[in-house]
Amino acid sequence: MLDPVYTVLSLIIIVPLALFLGVIYSFLIRKLSARFQWRVGPMFRMYSDLKPLLGTTRLLQPLYDILKLYGKETIVPDVSRRRLFVYSPYLSLIFAVTAILFIPFPGMPLLSGVPYSLIIASYLLIASTLFSILGPVASGSPWAAIGARREVELFLVSELGFVLSIFAVAIARQSLVIWDIANGGQSIYLALLTVAAGVLMLVAMLGKLHIKPFDMPEAEAEIVAGPYTEYSGKLLGTYYLTKVFILYGLVALFISLFLPPLATSVLWLPLYLLAALVLVFLLTAVQVLNPRYRIKNAINWYLKVVIPLGILNLIIALAIWLVV
Amino acid sequence: MGIIDKSRIYSPWLYHLHCGGCNGCDIETLAALAPRFDVERFGIQLVPSPRHADILLTTGCVPKQFIPMVKRIYEQVPEPKVVVAVGSCACGGSLFYDDAPDNYAILGHPDLLIPVDVYVPGCAPKPEAVINGVVQGILKLAEKRTKK
Ligand code: SF4
Repeated sequence: MLDPVYTVLSLIIIVPLALFLGVIYSFLIRKLSARFQWRVGPMFRMYSDLKPLLGTTRLLQPLYDILKLYGKETIVPDVSRRRLFVYSPYLSLIFAVTAILFIPFPGMPLLSGVPYSLIIASYLLIASTLFSILGPVASGSPWAAIGARREVELFLVSELGFVLSIFAVAIARQSLVIWDIANGGQSIYLALLTVAAGVLMLVAMLGKLHIKPFDMPEAEAEIVAGPYTEYSGKLLGTYYLTKVFILYGLVALFISLFLPPLATSVLWLPLYLLAALVLVFLLTAVQVLNPRYRIKNAINWYLKVVIPLGILNLIIALAIWLVV
Repeated sequence: MGIIDKSRIYSPWLYHLHCGGCNGCDIETLAALAPRFDVERFGIQLVPSPRHADILLTTGCVPKQFIPMVKRIYEQVPEPKVVVAVGSCACGGSLFYDDAPDNYAILGHPDLLIPVDVYVPGCAPKPEAVINGVVQGILKLAEKRTKK
C-alpha cells in the first residue's frame, strides 16, 4: 500500500490475471461436472490426429466461447429499450472488474486497504448483478422478463446470506477493511466463526453464481435461456465475461475473508490456489448432485437455512467481540 | 487465422430446430450430445436460444404451418451461421414428401425455405454421422469468415 507505483502496477496486472483464473475456474466447473456425469468434457489434451484442426488443449474453453461471441453479429431487438439493452452488459462488466480491484490476491493488496473496502466490494458486486437484471428486462422478451424476475427473487434471499456472513466476520474482527481482515490471525473461536460463516457464504454463492439447485433464472427447460434469451454477439459475450469475473471475485473474497492469512503474502500462493480449487470442487459437487428447485421452494429453503445460520453467526461474532 | 476465427472453430454452439420429423433424427442428435459421444469434448454445446447459436441443426420436413417459424428462427441466428440438415426428411423430403400430388400438410425439405449448407442423409443417421455433419458445418463456418 505504501508504494503507489506497485499498487498501480498490480491494479493493471490483476485484470488479466483475474480473467485467466476465472476462466480456469469455469473450465474446472465444466470439466468436473462432465466427469461426474460420466462424460469427458472439454479436453485437457486433444487427440493427436485432431490437433492441427482443433488445437492442443481446451483449458481456455470458456475464453474461446467469449472470443467467438465477440466475433459474431449483434442483434438488437426492435421492441427493446435500446440504450438500456446495449449499455447494461458493459456497466455490469465495469462493476464486476472494479469489484475485483478491492479484493486482495496473494502478494497484491490492490485497493483492499482503503477504508470500508468490504462494503465497497460488496456494493460493486451487487451493482453488477443489478445491471445483469436491468438489461434483460429492457429486452422486451417475456422469457427474459420471467428469468429476470426469478433472478430478483433469488438475489434478495441469497444476498441476505451474503451480507449476514460477511458482517459476522467484520464484527468479530472489528474491521470493515478487507486487507485488515485478511491479515488477521487465527484463534479457535475465529476458526469456529470461519466454519459457520463460510458455510453461509457458500450457500449464498450458490445463488449468486446460479449453481444447480438455484439455477432457475437460466432454466433452459422452461424459459429458453432466461435473462439472456434476446442477447447475442458482443453483448452476450460481455455478460459471459462478467460471469467469469464474478466467479473469480467471489472465490477471492471467500478466501480473503474466511481463510485469513492466505490472501496476503506471495508465499501463500500455492495454498491460495489449493483453497480455490477445493471451493470450485465443492460448488461443482453441489451442482451435479442436485436437481433444480422451483423458485418458491428455493426461497423457503434459503429462509429456513440462512436466517438461523445467520443469527447463529451474529451471536458467535458478538461473543467473540465482547468476550474474547 | 486470427484468434477469433480460431475460437469460432473451437466453440460452435448448436441450436436444434425440430420441424416436423418423426422424432427419430432428434433422438439420434441428442444421443450425439449425450455422455457416450459427448461432443462437449470439442466445445460443441446445445444452446436454448437461436440468438446464441452458430449452427442451426434442422430435422424433419417442414409442415406448412411451420413455414414462418423456420424462416424467423433462421433470421434470428446471428452471422456467420451454418445450417446442417439431419436426416433424409431434411435432405429431400423422404417418405412424407411427394411432389406430384401436392401434400395438403407438408411443404417439404427445409432447403425450400432457407439455405442449407450440409446434408446428413440417413433415416435416421447415426450419431457418428451427425457429428461428422456438424464438423463439416464447422469447416464451412471457418471458410465463410475467411472469405469476407
Ligand atoms: S429421416 Fe427418418 S428418422 Fe429422420 S425424421 Fe425423417 S422419417 Fe424420422
